[in-house]
Amino acid sequence: MTDNPNKLFLGVHLEDFHDDDKEVMVDVDHVSMIFNMASERMSSLKEYAIALARRELRFKEFRALNDVTFQVKRGDVFGVLGTNGSGKSTILKIIAGVLDPSEGSCTTKGNIAPLIELGAGFDMDLTARENIYLNGALLGYTKDFIESHFDDIVQFAEIEKFLDMPLKNYSSGMVARIAFAVATATIPDILIVDEVLSVGDFMFQQKCERRINSLIKDHQVTVLFVSHDTNQIERLCNKAIWIEKSHVRMIGAAHDVCETYRMIGGREGSPESEAHMLAVENDGSVVPLGELTDVVAGDSRYGTAIDMARRMHPQPDKVIIVRDDSRADNMLGIELSRILEAPLLPIAADLVPDAVLDYLNQLQPSEIIILGSSNEFRRGILDSFALRYADAKVTILEDERKDLLALKAYRYATEQGGAWGRTAFLSYKECFEDLLVLSPYMYAIEAPLFFVETQHTVDAPVREAIVDNFDRLIAVGNDHTEIFEDCLDPFREAGMEVLRLVGNDVYHANRLLNEWMVDEYHKLGIAPSRSVAVSASLQREHAFTLGSYAGLRNMLVLYADPVDLDSIAAAIDYLQTYADDIDELVFIGNDQVLSSHDRQLLEKALLIGKAGRKSAIA
Amino acid sequence: MQEQTESFSKPGWQRDWFIVRSLVKKDFKLKYRGSVLGCLWSVLTPLLMMCVLTAVFSAFFKFEIEYYPIYLILGNVLFSLMGDSTTSAMNSILDSASLIKKIRIKKIIFPLERVLFQFVNFLFSLLAVVMVIAFFQIAPTANILFLPLLLFYVALLSAGLGMMLAALAVFFTDIVQLWKVIILAWTYATPIFYPVSILPDWMLVAEEFNPMYHMITYFREIVLWGQTPSLTENLICLGMGALTFIAGYLVFNKTQSKFILHV
Repeated sequence: MTDNPNKLFLGVHLEDFHDDDKEVMVDVDHVSMIFNMASERMSSLKEYAIALARRELRFKEFRALNDVTFQVKRGDVFGVLGTNGSGKSTILKIIAGVLDPSEGSCTTKGNIAPLIELGAGFDMDLTARENIYLNGALLGYTKDFIESHFDDIVQFAEIEKFLDMPLKNYSSGMVARIAFAVATATIPDILIVDEVLSVGDFMFQQKCERRINSLIKDHQVTVLFVSHDTNQIERLCNKAIWIEKSHVRMIGAAHDVCETYRMIGGREGSPESEAHMLAVENDGSVVPLGELTDVVAGDSRYGTAIDMARRMHPQPDKVIIVRDDSRADNMLGIELSRILEAPLLPIAADLVPDAVLDYLNQLQPSEIIILGSSNEFRRGILDSFALRYADAKVTILEDERKDLLALKAYRYATEQGGAWGRTAFLSYKECFEDLLVLSPYMYAIEAPLFFVETQHTVDAPVREAIVDNFDRLIAVGNDHTEIFEDCLDPFREAGMEVLRLVGNDVYHANRLLNEWMVDEYHKLGIAPSRSVAVSASLQREHAFTLGSYAGLRNMLVLYADPVDLDSIAAAIDYLQTYADDIDELVFIGNDQVLSSHDRQLLEKALLIGKAGRKSAIA
Repeated sequence: MQEQTESFSKPGWQRDWFIVRSLVKKDFKLKYRGSVLGCLWSVLTPLLMMCVLTAVFSAFFKFEIEYYPIYLILGNVLFSLMGDSTTSAMNSILDSASLIKKIRIKKIIFPLERVLFQFVNFLFSLLAVVMVIAFFQIAPTANILFLPLLLFYVALLSAGLGMMLAALAVFFTDIVQLWKVIILAWTYATPIFYPVSILPDWMLVAEEFNPMYHMITYFREIVLWGQTPSLTENLICLGMGALTFIAGYLVFNKTQSKFILHV
């Protein structure tokens, strides 16, 4: 949860409905709901007395709803959208009359059937029959009404045979069925549905939806419908409101609100970023058709890695196995991958994933290089490669210390005839995002990667390897927690050119590094690829082996995290600024990393940029 | 459609009364569900309690009370009625938290329903009283007709205390524990199993402020001693009951909108 969520009001867009003459069924008028945070915890006299003595009885206020105003007309099916804890349930409770608003007023017309939490008031020791009567009474039905509808209820709930069994022997699905049947026995004026459709089995969910639909279609019942599921709201509702962190964000046609919610709902970021995204979204001048995009993805992270591997080399005879969650190993894999012309294949600590096994079986590589610290693997898993691929030569490059592992990888690559440029990279073992961004450059200038031993020291053999073979060192990491200046002094003393690349914020650094690299390419006369790899930095599983792929194709890496609007806005800005240099977006990872909607948005941003414009920030 | 929507619910008190009835019915069913003797226990409990207390107190103290078992059972059932009503009303809001949070319902229904349920139970206890009286062959007098009036006073008192406690218990759970102790102290402070005559003078003065003292005395007068309660006695009982009821109602009414924030 952000401390400062976006509460910007995006407006009421109901002009198209022309229903001013319709009867107002629910009128929520400037409603605020304030809870006292401290007093709720004050449940014993002692605490109360202590607080009283300390004069702390003026509590911290929590506004669950802040000046919410909207109207629901007769026959509307009104969706209420919002992330958890944004005040959806509170507004429903106020409309249902369970809660009184702290400020403002809420008036309703006619009777209300609240399907808020089904089965409130059920007693598990009573039989179904008794519960139907009791629950009916609690919902305000008369005895006659319950008696005349009893058979319908029983039939709908499909519990004929179990009527006189105590409810505690029922399954939770059956209980939900009874509750739904009782609550919808009447034809109310207003029906409130709060995510009840998520209970019960599929068949019953459909039955409930049919019942609600028939209430809507045949009886013009006014419905308030709460759900996280934008598809459901779009399907059932005509209007919708989006409440975010107690503020109304948008009211309008269900389709429009859902569209906007899908794009920016539940995400964090500044209002400027949001406005930027909305500007792109609402730009109707270009249509993203997917012509500028490609997706590298599999069903899982391993599938994605295999897809990358296939794209890198059609028939490699060597493969490099790395642990799927070791940042350092994957980064070291970049130079090995370049020199051995081998793809990186990730495996888990205790298991070789099926996707990787299938690929290996099909490939039958002549050489398997395993890179990592053997103590990070389960015993036997490394040996299993030797057994399984008896014809292949299995080389294990391993060391518990990552800085020594890097040295081994460097020496091994050199033995294999690896060519090196004049530059070496020095980083720390946890570094990931910045190194990934730099991977095409490392690849292009044929640089190896080394690690510091501690923040202050570089192990002597590593230092010697660097000083003896290179005359330029690029240190990636900041100077107050990651790589201190004293690490670098020996290299300066040895006459090396030392360069520091530092990024504090991932997305900011992303842009700076990319711009720096493009500059460097110009100096070197290298043309960078016109493709950009788009990856997530928060959900980075799919991106572990990306370095080798982006390196080979010399693609710049651009981060865009779906939950972080600022990152998306930064990506949009980058794409629009350098639109002329970019012809393709390669999305790394499946829909769970970046939804197709987000992909379209980025493509759209690129198209707008190519059209020579930057989307104006509204 | 229109007819249906109109007939499914009746407005106001009729609806609330149906809810109360349904809840009492539920409580009653649940209380004895699964026990062999069922609601016979409502009769048996006061009888057995009487036997135990009679055995204990006639062995230890030599109270000079005529028909001691009757004296005792009258005091005991009436005090239990008040004690059980208030205790169960006190928990009513806490127990119905899930309902209060989800259904639009008059909250006052819950404590009142609990009190009513205890009164229904009390009718069974009265059977026990009748049996004891029959055993001792005491002829009832016309004064027994004052019983409904007495029950009305006790109902006012119990409901008043019940509402107040129910409201307070929401904000301070400690009340629930405290009330157990208070009821115990109150039991001993009221002449239930001992004669008024053993009380020191200052306690006699204090008893004047004890509504249960007045009401139990009232009960004994009309059932055991065949006396007609004086107008003063009626006024005292009514006054105490009514004042408590009003106070309880005011407290409940003032705080009820905040219940949902605390349960």
